Amino acid sequence: MSKPLLEIEDLHAKVDNKEIIKGFNLTINEGEVHAIMGPNGAGKSTLSYVLCGKPGYEVTSGRVLFKGKDLLQMSVEERAREGLFLSMQKPVEIPGVSITPFLKHALNSIRAYRGEKEMDTVEFMKLLREEGRKLNLNADMLKRSINVGFSGGEAKRLETLQMAILRPSLAILDEADSGVDIDAMRIIGEGVNACRTPHNGLLVITHYQRLLNYIVPDFVHVYTGGKIVKTGNKDLAEELERTGYSEFVKEQA
Amino acid sequence: MTKLLHQVKLLGENIPWLKELRQNGRDAFAALGIPNAKTEAWKYTKPNMFLTDEFETYSAGNSANYQYDFPFATYQITFIDGVFAPNMSDLPSEIEIIPLAEFVMFDIQAKKLIGNLVDINKHPFAALNTAYLNEGIYIKISENCKLTKPLALVYHSTCQNQRPMSNIRNLIVLEKNAQTELIEYFNYDGDQKSVYFNNVVNEIYIGDNATLMHYKAQMEAFKAIHLALNCVEIKKSGYYKSFCLQKGADLARNESKVRLCDTQAKAEVNAAYMMNGWATIDTTTNIEHLVAETFSDQLVKGVVGGQAKGIFQGCIHIEPNAIKTKGYQQHRALLLTDEAEVDVKPELEIFADDVQCSHGSACGQLDAEQLFYLRSRGLDEEEAKAMLVDAYLQEVIAKVDNEKIADWIKLLLQS
Repeated sequence: MSKPLLEIEDLHAKVDNKEIIKGFNLTINEGEVHAIMGPNGAGKSTLSYVLCGKPGYEVTSGRVLFKGKDLLQMSVEERAREGLFLSMQKPVEIPGVSITPFLKHALNSIRAYRGEKEMDTVEFMKLLREEGRKLNLNADMLKRSINVGFSGGEAKRLETLQMAILRPSLAILDEADSGVDIDAMRIIGEGVNACRTPHNGLLVITHYQRLLNYIVPDFVHVYTGGKIVKTGNKDLAEELERTGYSEFVKEQA
Repeated sequence: MTKLLHQVKLLGENIPWLKELRQNGRDAFAALGIPNAKTEAWKYTKPNMFLTDEFETYSAGNSANYQYDFPFATYQITFIDGVFAPNMSDLPSEIEIIPLAEFVMFDIQAKKLIGNLVDINKHPFAALNTAYLNEGIYIKISENCKLTKPLALVYHSTCQNQRPMSNIRNLIVLEKNAQTELIEYFNYDGDQKSVYFNNVVNEIYIGDNATLMHYKAQMEAFKAIHLALNCVEIKKSGYYKSFCLQKGADLARNESKVRLCDTQAKAEVNAAYMMNGWATIDTTTNIEHLVAETFSDQLVKGVVGGQAKGIFQGCIHIEPNAIKTKGYQQHRALLLTDEAEVDVKPELEIFADDVQCSHGSACGQLDAEQLFYLRSRGLDEEEAKAMLVDAYLQEVIAKVDNEKIADWIKLLLQS
């Protein structure tokens, strides 16, 4: 029996005083891939932000354990250092902060937290080049400011690159497929799969089934009205692709 | 109101014009007094709140050995506690460079050049500077001369004297087609709480088609007072480009008064300020377009933390005949705390038609989305903020064309 990575129990959370997450339960064990699917506006991104501790997202009740520790007591950076990673739906542009030094700094912050020794520039540049090549991101692009002048697909590949470098225990991919063409989706899918080990987990948030052809889930959850309303295997994703979410949205209403 | 005016013995009292000039300075300062909240040009800065006690003037130089180690080659001209230190200087042979004290006594040019660009009846601290006129340097870059290394004026305070006041006047003349880079660097040694007062006036003459790149880094001690006035006159097709970083002092003003005197004259005046604690840092500009087809551009960016106060006053003045002129000005500031303050006074005085002129000013806070992004990758909050602050100032540091100097400025920002 593999160990649980993430245990969410009866989570309630609100944004701008509006309750968005209403009694959410989910357990992700080591080595598992979970997909959360749901219609637009179901609060999928809210869930990922709540888990990463974004300011403004308030947990009103419930419990979240990450590798047995109380996740909700941790700061944003502590969660990252413990091994939680969020590939963002709309990665923000940060003019003036170049990718390479930022990512080296991020990696070494995480390594220091784990008691590992700092990675020097030579070693880091080698790693960055290798991982960048896999994701079709060349050295010139990695000299640029974070996401500045990046297309949708490039920004998402950069998110995947960061995941490959930082090697999280649990990565949440929030619509890694939105704004991405079919080739980029394949590259992202391959990149994500390359990071998988028997000890880490993935939470893939999407409203299309397409990405799940590349990243095959063990479990598929239908999320609407702030909670999971149905759980199945990968066949559920295909079924949803045919029938849509209307059945579940009606049930909610 | 004549506080700060002491009887000191200065060289050259027997030279009538010099004696008169100094006396005019004394009289003007006595009449104007130390500016306060009611003085329009100083209403946000309020120097009277800082200059409450006496400062001493020391005529003897400090014997300290000091030479700054720039991370690139320069011709270094060192002032220690406001006194020119010839032994700590490395003067280029291809240009004329004379300590001001000698220049005023032996050169007939002096009378013509000194005070020509400064109205002491409008600038009280220039009046004070004139009253004590003695220290400084005269630099002339002659026709067609292009200096290969930057001229670096290093003003070093040893913080060994009690409340010293230094008045420095530099005269910088670029003849036709001359080109140089000029660095001014203000630093200190010893107790960071030392109180001293640096009052600098530069008169800069840029001849036809001459180019001056003027870089300044003000890194004074936390309780110091730093007031600088840069008066620049630009002739036909002349080009003046400046960048000033202000990071030190309790009270500081860097004022640039630029006169575009002939067609195709161009000025770019850029500045960055970064402060914490209780500091007051002021950037004031006044660009006068006196004739047609002259150009100016300004970018000033600041980062204000603690309970500090940043001030930007920027005036673009366009004379009635100065058509086809372009004048632009941008000021932006980042407020890091609720107590931080920025006061802004942009002024456009446009008396000509057919000109392009604009100004803009904005104050904001760090972007919450950017901060979250960096932290979500494992950077702690303070590191993430520092990274965003650096990024914010990047745009204005990019105005420094010389990469080595830009890197040096970045180092100073992080120190």
